[in-house]
Amino acid sequence: MGKQKLKVLLGATALAAMAGQAPAGEFDGITLQAKLIGGQQYEGLYARIAEWEAETGAKVDVISKKNHFELDKEFKSDLAAGTLGWCVGSNHSSFAAQYPNLYTDLTPYLSAEDIAAFVPANISASKIGDALVMLPRAQFDVSVLYYLKAVYEDEGNKTAYKEKTGRDLAPPDTWEEFKEQAIFFADPPNFYGTQYAGKDEAIVGRFYELVVAEGGALFNEDWSPAFNSDAGKRALQWFVDLYDAGAVPPGTTSYLWDDLGQGFASGTIALNLDWPGWAGFFNDPDSSKAAGNVGVKVQPAGSSGKRTGWSGHHGFSVTESCEHKEAAASLVAWLTNEDSQKLESAGGSLPTRSAVWEHVLQEAQSDPFRAEAIAAFQAGAEHAFPAPQTPEWIEATNLIYPELQAAILGDKTVDEALADAAEAVDEMMQENGVY
Amino acid sequence: MSRFRPPVWFVLLLPAIIILAAVVLIPLILSFYSSFTPYKLTRPDTLYKWIGTFNYEKAIKSTHFWAAFGRTVLLLTIALNLEMLMGLGLALLVNKVTYGQRALRTIMMFPMMFSPVLVGFQFKFIFNDNVGLVNNALQSLGLTDKAIPWLVDGQLAFIAILTAEMWSATSVFAILILAGLFAVPRDPIEAAKVDGCTPWQSFRHITLPYIMPFIYIALAIRSLDVARAYDIVQIMTNGGPARRTELLWTLIGRTGYIDAKMGYANAMGYISIFLAIFFTVYFFRKLNAARSELGMAG
Repeated sequence: MGKQKLKVLLGATALAAMAGQAPAGEFDGITLQAKLIGGQQYEGLYARIAEWEAETGAKVDVISKKNHFELDKEFKSDLAAGTLGWCVGSNHSSFAAQYPNLYTDLTPYLSAEDIAAFVPANISASKIGDALVMLPRAQFDVSVLYYLKAVYEDEGNKTAYKEKTGRDLAPPDTWEEFKEQAIFFADPPNFYGTQYAGKDEAIVGRFYELVVAEGGALFNEDWSPAFNSDAGKRALQWFVDLYDAGAVPPGTTSYLWDDLGQGFASGTIALNLDWPGWAGFFNDPDSSKAAGNVGVKVQPAGSSGKRTGWSGHHGFSVTESCEHKEAAASLVAWLTNEDSQKLESAGGSLPTRSAVWEHVLQEAQSDPFRAEAIAAFQAGAEHAFPAPQTPEWIEATNLIYPELQAAILGDKTVDEALADAAEAVDEMMQENGVY
Repeated sequence: MSRFRPPVWFVLLLPAIIILAAVVLIPLILSFYSSFTPYKLTRPDTLYKWIGTFNYEKAIKSTHFWAAFGRTVLLLTIALNLEMLMGLGLALLVNKVTYGQRALRTIMMFPMMFSPVLVGFQFKFIFNDNVGLVNNALQSLGLTDKAIPWLVDGQLAFIAILTAEMWSATSVFAILILAGLFAVPRDPIEAAKVDGCTPWQSFRHITLPYIMPFIYIALAIRSLDVARAYDIVQIMTNGGPARRTELLWTLIGRTGYIDAKMGYANAMGYISIFLAIFFTVYFFRKLNAARSELGMAG
């Protein structure tokens, strides 16, 4: 590099330091390759990349745009083939643990204030060990309680519930109360107290969050199974009791998210723990018989006082092998900054920055239902925790869910089912060389 | 020095050998080899680790595997018998029709044109406990006031899957048996009539022996199909709940593609192939016996 050029660069750096923000030309001549999640709902944010390019002088070359399942396969084949020349990748808290060595720790490239501006629960869900492997964008998911307001306003229900329990009828704040009310409201086959996802990762995720709310854990530190515990048994008993009492549709063990969404929208389910994406659908008269009758509340707590909060969020990461980590980190910070999150959450998705939550809440004031939903999700987000951060998670769920179903359907006792599931998971972990 | 000249027959067969090796032999050898490794799709390096017969021992000791195996044999036995009886009945009825038989034959083939995935979705909806046609019909007719969990109860789910299988494949039997009926010579039947045989006697002793080879061919084809049953079950119940409807290939499919354990899945696959081979050999023996009874054995 010529002396003249060096002087100019040093001068520019000094100016930048004085201005306190990325100056024009800071990353001049650098081209970053990126692999991003694709989809119409994400395009608005990607349009902002041009602004970052103009400000910094760097170029971004998006070499892949796919959904997370496809990206996941691509990342794995990149790892296998060693084709890791790209710098920025879309990430997801449920996938991140599968590639612990792919992404770099972003902490050295960000200030403490930058990180503190995010919701703490989202930041801890973005870490593998102590390494902050991604910065969360405004695409966050946690389940809260949707309920039919009419069943709580019904005078008959109020009196009968008071007579039965001695308490006033109000949307539940604990899972015990939730169960009691679900059984109380049920009138099968026309009306059910609640429903739950009954197979695959979905039921294990629900079981997982309930075990946590009961004060337990799914896995120990070394990833050996920890769910065959008192907390685990209480959590599974909750599913069993609801099924035995006929408070859930008999086919619930085959339900997944779509069945649950459609079920609540049919107006025949009183209480429903569900994701933020359904809020608009449930309250839209064109798609839902429950429209105008939907209440939203923070998710209930288990006997330990802790609330459920199995969650997931999208984020952006920088690869360990990236040549220009500073530039890449700057892009990632830009894509998750306040303006970017405001832009994304205007489309209805949930933010991961505290200030943007306030902004979204402010914006929703004119629509009471939306305001109620946003407030519930904001409260819910504080209790959020990610799926267990192990590459063995999906395989473990495939071993656990048939046993949960066996207990729910009465083929096994709760103790037998959890013992069998724990044994199978333990064997799998050992076979996979986890411990 | 004389150059090596391969025999002419070998040269002529070479293209066929190369193509067979590429499309059949290499994948077979590779999957067989991988069944002796802990091959995981997400960890390509595991393909080179030899673990001997570990996967086979694991499968043989697994109660889930043998339960799925037993369930597949049960489904195969019941489905084949019922499909054969219904197909035979259908073929005999259609054979009697003198006007519009062609249209009937075409209509009979409709279920075969549906993709099994579509059949799975269709019957999943029909047997849905909440919004399904069957429960709605039963409730409207006042036969029950409960939501019968068709796809949850082990036996009912088995019946639901059996119904879907039969709906989609009975016509295979009907079409093949009908072809057999067309080939039955008229003379012996007329002679039997003259001799005073009852319709049952002439069917039992004349028609049936003639169509038996066709029935065995249909049984052999369908036994392979049902032994590999996957799509319909995958869509309707995915082997669940609580493994109540788990068949060999839903178990193997999940192990191979969701858990990414290809080595173990291949080992289970190779054990399962014995099932298919057994039924094929059995039906071909029966077929040869039936043909030799007719003096057609070659």
